[in-house]
Amino acid sequence: MNLNILWFILVAVIILGWSVMDGFDYGVGGLLNFIAKNDEEKRYVINAIGPVWDGNQVWLILGGGAVFAAFPLVYASIFSGFYLAMMLVVWLIIFRAVSFEFRSKVESIKWRNFWDADITVTGLGIALLLGVAIANILMGVPLNKEHIDYQSLFSLLNVFGLAGGLISLSMFLMHGSTYLIMKTEGEVQQRARAFAKGFAVAFIIVTLLFLIISPIFAPRLLGNSFGVIGDVVPAIMLIGAIGVILTAGSSSDIKPFAYSIIAIIGAVASLAVGIFPNIVPSSINAKYSLNIYNSASNHLTLLVMLIATVIGLPLVLIYAIYAYKKFGLKVKMDDSSY
Amino acid sequence: MDSTALLLARIQFGMTAFFHFLYPPLTIGLGLLLVITEGTYIFTKDQEYLRVTRFFAKLFAINFVVGVASGIVMEFQFGTNWAQYSSFVGAIFGSPLAIEGLFAFFMESIFVGVMLLGWNRLSAKAHWISTILVAFGSTLSGVWILVANSWMQTPAGYKIGSNGIPKMTNFWHMVFNPYFPSEFTHVIMGAWEYSAFFMAGVAAWFLIKNNKDMVMRKALKVAVIVGVIVACGQIIVGDIGAREVVKYQPTKLAMMEALWHSQKYAPETLFALPNNATESNGPHIGIPGMLSMLSYLNPAAKVMGLNAAIRYINKKDSKLDHTKLTLAMFPPVWIVFWSFHIMMYFGFYFALVMLIALYFLLKDKLFDSPKMLKLLWFSTFLPLIAIELGWFTTEIGRQPFTVYGLLTTVDSVSKNVSVVDVGLSITMFVLIYITLASFAVYLFKRELRERVEGKDELAGESAKAQIK
Ligand code: HDD
Ligand code: HEM
Ligand code: HEM
Repeated sequence: MNLNILWFILVAVIILGWSVMDGFDYGVGGLLNFIAKNDEEKRYVINAIGPVWDGNQVWLILGGGAVFAAFPLVYASIFSGFYLAMMLVVWLIIFRAVSFEFRSKVESIKWRNFWDADITVTGLGIALLLGVAIANILMGVPLNKEHIDYQSLFSLLNVFGLAGGLISLSMFLMHGSTYLIMKTEGEVQQRARAFAKGFAVAFIIVTLLFLIISPIFAPRLLGNSFGVIGDVVPAIMLIGAIGVILTAGSSSDIKPFAYSIIAIIGAVASLAVGIFPNIVPSSINAKYSLNIYNSASNHLTLLVMLIATVIGLPLVLIYAIYAYKKFGLKVKMDDSSY
Repeated sequence: MDSTALLLARIQFGMTAFFHFLYPPLTIGLGLLLVITEGTYIFTKDQEYLRVTRFFAKLFAINFVVGVASGIVMEFQFGTNWAQYSSFVGAIFGSPLAIEGLFAFFMESIFVGVMLLGWNRLSAKAHWISTILVAFGSTLSGVWILVANSWMQTPAGYKIGSNGIPKMTNFWHMVFNPYFPSEFTHVIMGAWEYSAFFMAGVAAWFLIKNNKDMVMRKALKVAVIVGVIVACGQIIVGDIGAREVVKYQPTKLAMMEALWHSQKYAPETLFALPNNATESNGPHIGIPGMLSMLSYLNPAAKVMGLNAAIRYINKKDSKLDHTKLTLAMFPPVWIVFWSFHIMMYFGFYFALVMLIALYFLLKDKLFDSPKMLKLLWFSTFLPLIAIELGWFTTEIGRQPFTVYGLLTTVDSVSKNVSVVDVGLSITMFVLIYITLASFAVYLFKRELRERVEGKDELAGESAKAQIK
């Protein structure tokens, strides 16, 4: 295995870390106004992610940095090519980042309603746009000979893109619901159980739909480099989601979340398998596609970054485990909570 | 790519960087001050230090989230607006950004949650360690981002590959490029300096209202002691940094000092109205020989003027195929000159203010001197101006390059992003930033007011029960 392949896998792992960790933040945020009925319940829900959302968000930043360093051409052409879509995501992230802290500082109802709406809309928006972007990449991007492309915001919102958006939206809402099953008790937890089931069903339906239409929009997904095995990987998504449906109503608080993680692993793995060895396929000419070789940094950069990752990732896990332990499995409110 | 789009991209970058850097200095510096005050509480068991810590931690939190929100923009902006730049140097420049995420942001951001929400869940010592990790993590993020920035000033540890694109040849040479040590020290000290003034100013404001406020007396004491050290140190560090500029970026030095023509006994110009069209300074005053002295420790030494420096760079980098530089490609000299000089004058002013405050503190008159307290309150945010002016000097002085001697700004910008796109995004950023800044200011003021009105839940006895 060479460094380029290793880095392809590592980027997939970082995307997985981001979807699993930050994914439930987006999901919980998107659910906020629907699952919590009054200010007290809203605070309860917000405090489920309150101490950890910022650490989770670093997965996104790490992803940006890793792609920048390992595959600079991908970073450059996707981010500039999807200019306004990227900006939209950035704006949503900005407003989400300040919302929890700002909300808690003032007790007025109007103020809090504003930030609650903000948390909900940004959570839903990011969850949706992520899938839109990925589906568009799977479909192929009009990269020219110089690997430059341009996509207007509206050209991204095509049928296939939207289908991808629905997958990520339902996936993160399912993930957020299962996270709340784990973190909460009482009525909120009961509602979370119902939501988890509902979104898992929705997730299965849109995923099947996506798989059915993909031969039309992204035929190369079927011709992936892994042959039949590659076609089986999406099944992991479905297995995870079925697991969520089966366990969400049971007495277990943790199993639904675990199955939801399996579904996400399936989603990221399908993505990786489907696109490899390309990273950004060109819809103009397959020769112009950006793959793990023609878009990568030189050997030394990849090596240095690999060493850094091998040292750094375990540290991250240690910090995270420490923080999650300190705040316990179930949310407890006190005077320093949001 | 037409020049309007380039101009807009530059405006957007300058604006978003400016806005981002309003916040990180306080995260870095106040982090350190909180480590000091909380540590003092732990070792002396003096409850008032705990209240200082808890009060300033609330202000820290407001500042922190805006820093995070605006930092995300910076991370993605290289790809969106500077795609040519990103594909050219990504292999080198991207790595410190990724390492920053991995080693600094995770530490900072995970422990900031523990620190702000964990007052009742951790032992006093464990909580203090979280605070230390937050301060350490944010300083570390400064390390890596300044590796990236200083590399753009003095690129090192690379070779131009066969495809004309630089590739890394030595990671540690890239990290410890010539500018890095002085730039890092100067920026971090600036962060501490601003935070000391911030804490002093806020404490002074409370003391003006009520000088028996024991908690704020403690805060002011800590701020003045830290402040006097960093304010004096900053002048020395700045001077060291300037000599690095002399060595590596002659065009920037010439603009900073408004020196058009090479000369011996070069003066340190104190006031001038530099004019690019006439290549002269208009009315000006300076100290003869002083610039030569500062640059080479020899008053007779010859210092390169802007025109000579341009010729020098053209010759030195002739192997690179970027267009020959002409004076017309350089920014107006007065911007660089005045950014640098006002920063420097502020540097002396800050040292003076802190020295006087220390004198009052030692004489035990600081808390009873409304004039001194007002001066401190007035100075609260001035270091922030010095910090931003410092970045203007560094960044505008580097023009017309993004990577000095290697890549020009013209060649850095995305080719596929239109004027409409950038125009739209700038408009949005202006609106968003005005909104965020107003909210932050509103919440800051609210915290101060609530404490004065006694609504601060930690002001009273209850603070004692806060930490196990
Ligand atoms: C000397 C310090 C310094 C400088 C020059 C910069 N930053 Fe910064 N940045 C910080 C110091 C910092 C910090 C102190 O670490 C912040 C401020 C508040 C915070 O949470 O972390 C931060 C936040 C922050 C975040 C959010 C991190 C999080 O979620 O925890 C990102 C993605 C960036 N920055 C990226 C950048 C980029 C790409 C820059 C350059 C163009 C940049 N910063 C300049
Ligand atoms: C955070 C404090 C910073 C501030 C206030 C700041 C400010 C500025 C300003 C005002 C410009 C515009 C110069 C001009 O167009 O004439 C600029 C340019 C630039 N800066 Fe910085 N900068 C900061 C940090 C950084 C860092 C840390 C990096 C890199 C990691 C960086 C990279 C760049 C680049 C690529 C440009 C070129 C684009 C341009 O010319 O507009 N800056 N910066
Ligand atoms: C007499 C005092 C000072 C001197 C001689 C001085 C000198 C310098 C010089 C020469 C530069 C440009 C270096 C470059 O281009 O890389 C610089 C940049 C800068 N200065 Fe100062 N400075 C002084 C005071 C201050 C103060 C008081 C602050 C803030 C509180 C400050 C903050 C900055 C910042 C943030 C930068 C940009 C980053 C950098 O390049 O280091 N400076 N300063």
